[in-house]
Amino acid sequence: MPALSRADTSLLGRWWWTVDRWTLLAIATLIGFGYVMMLAASPAVAERIGQSRDLFILKQVVFLAAAGLLVVLVSLLSPRGVRRLALAGCLAALLLTAMTLVHGVEIKGARRWIALPGLSLQPSEFLKPCFAVVTAWLLAEARRVPRFPGTLLACGLYGVIAVLLKSQPDIGMLAVVTAVFFAQLFVGGLNLVLVGLALAAFASAGVGAYALFAHVRSRVLRFVHPDTGDSYQVDKALEAFGNGGLLGRGPGEGRVKDVLPDAHADFVFAVAGEEFGMLLCTLLLGLFAFIVIRGLLLLLEESDLFVVLASAGLVTSFGLQAFVNMGSSLHLIPTKGMTLPFVSYGGSSVLAVALGMGMLLALTRKRHHGEVP
Amino acid sequence: MSTRRDDPAPGSGPQAPSPSSMPARAFGAPRHAAVPRMETVRVTAPDLARRAAMERTRARLVFAAGFFTLLFLAVIGKLADATIFRPLHPREPPLALVVPDPATPAAPGEHIRRAMITDRNKEILAISLPTAELYADPREMIDTADAAHKLKQAVPRLDEAQMRERLASARQFVYLARRLSPNEEMAINTLGIPGVYFQTSERRRYPLGRVAAQVLGGVDVDEHGVAGVERFFDDRLRQGADPLRLSLDVRVQAVVRDELLAAMTEFQAIGACGIVMDVRTGEVLAMVSLPDYDANEFGDAPPEDRFNRAVTGMYEPGSTFKLQTAAMALDSGAAHLWDQFDARDDIKIGRFTITDFQGKHRWLYLPEVLAYSSNLGAAHIALTVGGERQRAWLGEMGMFRRIGIELPEAGLPIFPPVANWKEVATMTIGFGHGIAVSPLHVVRATAAVANGGLVLRPTLLAEPSEDGAPRDGTRVMQQATSDTMRRLMRLVVTDGYGKPADVPGYFVGGKTGTAEKVGAHGYKKHTNVSAFISVFPMNAPRYAVYMMLDEPHGNASTGGYSTAGAVSAPAAGRVIARIAPMLGLFPQTDDAAAIQASLAIALQPGHGTPAHGTAAATRPETDRGETGRGEAVHALPVHVEPRDQRHEASTDPSSRTSDVVAVPPKDGFAAPPKDGFAVAAQ
Repeated sequence: MPALSRADTSLLGRWWWTVDRWTLLAIATLIGFGYVMMLAASPAVAERIGQSRDLFILKQVVFLAAAGLLVVLVSLLSPRGVRRLALAGCLAALLLTAMTLVHGVEIKGARRWIALPGLSLQPSEFLKPCFAVVTAWLLAEARRVPRFPGTLLACGLYGVIAVLLKSQPDIGMLAVVTAVFFAQLFVGGLNLVLVGLALAAFASAGVGAYALFAHVRSRVLRFVHPDTGDSYQVDKALEAFGNGGLLGRGPGEGRVKDVLPDAHADFVFAVAGEEFGMLLCTLLLGLFAFIVIRGLLLLLEESDLFVVLASAGLVTSFGLQAFVNMGSSLHLIPTKGMTLPFVSYGGSSVLAVALGMGMLLALTRKRHHGEVP
Repeated sequence: MSTRRDDPAPGSGPQAPSPSSMPARAFGAPRHAAVPRMETVRVTAPDLARRAAMERTRARLVFAAGFFTLLFLAVIGKLADATIFRPLHPREPPLALVVPDPATPAAPGEHIRRAMITDRNKEILAISLPTAELYADPREMIDTADAAHKLKQAVPRLDEAQMRERLASARQFVYLARRLSPNEEMAINTLGIPGVYFQTSERRRYPLGRVAAQVLGGVDVDEHGVAGVERFFDDRLRQGADPLRLSLDVRVQAVVRDELLAAMTEFQAIGACGIVMDVRTGEVLAMVSLPDYDANEFGDAPPEDRFNRAVTGMYEPGSTFKLQTAAMALDSGAAHLWDQFDARDDIKIGRFTITDFQGKHRWLYLPEVLAYSSNLGAAHIALTVGGERQRAWLGEMGMFRRIGIELPEAGLPIFPPVANWKEVATMTIGFGHGIAVSPLHVVRATAAVANGGLVLRPTLLAEPSEDGAPRDGTRVMQQATSDTMRRLMRLVVTDGYGKPADVPGYFVGGKTGTAEKVGAHGYKKHTNVSAFISVFPMNAPRYAVYMMLDEPHGNASTGGYSTAGAVSAPAAGRVIARIAPMLGLFPQTDDAAAIQASLAIALQPGHGTPAHGTAAATRPETDRGETGRGEAVHALPVHVEPRDQRHEASTDPSSRTSDVVAVPPKDGFAAPPKDGFAVAAQ
């Protein structure tokens, strides 16, 4: 790469010297993993669902390339630009999510997708990062401007989104959005009594979901009592990890991708475990942990509340998603279909995660005296 | 609430104000100009609250980071547990998985095979045969060593040690053998070894071995064409439709190869090339390049054997180009049959010296220039035509482009750029030096000269072609010019260097071409490319036969000569004698005399007329300009083309008057030549 001078004041020059290059490198490595895992897992899946293998792969190649570009483009924005993008994105994603209830494509019993030529768009994926930034802005604004009902507005927005996601239904996404919202309130300095209340409400909501939704109940039951009922997917995933061992079976030698329907998406971590072993899985996990923990600790030096809250929300959403995916594959938590950021197959997921990471990079860029323009 | 940053420490008690608390002023400055030494900072209450909140936020960020650390540590722990400490090994696959799906194995013939390639008579040139590939999943096997042993018993050509080693690996897919015959597949199948599988596959075979090997090319392991026709028509062949019918005729192909190989052996040549083309359609009936290889061993053939001299090799055409020079001169009206050209002395131009092989050292009539293959004469004819017209002509003959045949290997000719196309180039290209084209280029251009003036794109597809498009030639010369040229080509065989190619009853016409090969330091003496281009029968041309030997060596039978007339022309004659009957042409011996008479042309038309130079004064200046093709250009019985001024300056001053002499026609050329050429119908 041609060295960019410190004195270079062009858009790219300033970007290069202010952006968090370590996080950028970690994201680039994750995208590289995405390519490898897509090549490993996709052909078997494409063959099973009767799609053209080359087209299946080509689509994701294009998506991953677009994701890389999106990360860089969004990270060029100023914090104000990020806020505007998030507001617009939040509005559009809300409308589209509402539209899924009317015009959605029903896949596996849920209406979450809008059919576009070439891909099925899942607007709620894009809602996630945009909501985090908008909430952060509302909470920070409430603190800065007296009598601005920011907290109330944020709660209202969360309520609307919760209703929409519950109607799809997409309880997993709702849980992530809730957790992100909660994390932001928590980081924002929520009274510990209220934190306790919120956690209690969370727990009771979990119990409520368990009682109300049959599929949630069956998943939890299967988690608690693996011997009862059908635990085929998790068994296969665990077998895959066991089969892989420390170093893995070698590329193309995995079997789990032949038997698991979601080997390329929700269970891509199991495919990685079987073919490349624990070492590579640990490296993958380390990359996620690096991005999340570094992201949170870097915020300690930040003085702008909006930047702190927005970044914390984005990082939480990213980290939780990775954790839920890996945890489900490893039977650490009940099965919850969630993609592994950048690594799982899927256009909406990859692009939404790229949008979020681009926003994170834009917010955490070094600024003169920490001023937010 | 307010605070002063510089509050004295508690307990220090009242004391004199420290010097730093006193306002500072410059020496002599008034008191009101004093400046406080220390600023008092006031922090407002909301600001303090914000700071406290920020501190709390930071603490909670640390808490969140710790929480995530715990989460990820939990994942690592569970990961280590699942992969190393308590790995859950896959259970044996249930039996149902092993039972083959009855719908899966492809029935014989169901598998789409690469289409056949046949010759024009539907003889098979290339065919894909079904074979099986043997692979195994060692994990399904009970005793891998025993399995390897049994497989070796069933098919002895397999390598038992290698199979045992592969089966011992922990992988789930190992190749054991490729290209099993149906018998071998059957033998292995009856062993009933679990975990052994077959994959239907196919194998490209070329039953005729070396026949047309370079034309057919080859396929890779996955049956994708990588050279020759296999590559050019790869998509068409992979769709597995009807056989691809080529224009080749394996009988003709075999004869040409046979005779070429004989000549190559006899004259110890390093290579050879032979082409037979239908001059009316452009169909190539034979294309041979030696040395060759067994098409079934394409992968192992050395590059020099795969090299297709007919389309990839670029050679200086040598004297075979004199046909073009003569044709362009006659067609443009720049020269006439009865014109004479100076071949007395060598031409020294720049650092070049143009000489004649066994030169006559006198003025030569145009037919003599061809019959005796005079370089000097051809150079003068070319000068008479002029570089521009020469370029235009050769361009229309396709000498500056790839040949356009259906072979990916077709190469680009080498020729001087316009800027370098000077007088020297015009002269040397006039006798086929200073330009390099493929043998097929020569064949196409000569076919156009002989077939009435239509240049055709050579093709390897049998007529009518699959796309059904009519094959129209492009007219590049008048019919009359072609008629004259046919007589001249016949003259070369009856009276010139082409005599050994004559076959009674087939009225062979042609032209020799011997070019010295270009080495690292200019032309290599005694290293020739000797070619003979012939067309037969000359009274109604059907086929062009081209035979070329690369670096032949003369022997006792040729008097030591390795020129085209000595080594290539006899081979062409033998080919014609053998293939003509196959192609349905019978020797016309009954009316041979009449046909020969219709083709005859005098070596020295109008011989005995006033010597050269006398007509120069009568030359009409108005004829200096371009003579468009399509007009009657032989109108004036006495016509002398003026010499090029540059030419005049650069050649021997003694021939300053004129080297192009027109003589009044006699000997049957009293009328304009067009009328005098009653071409005998077949």
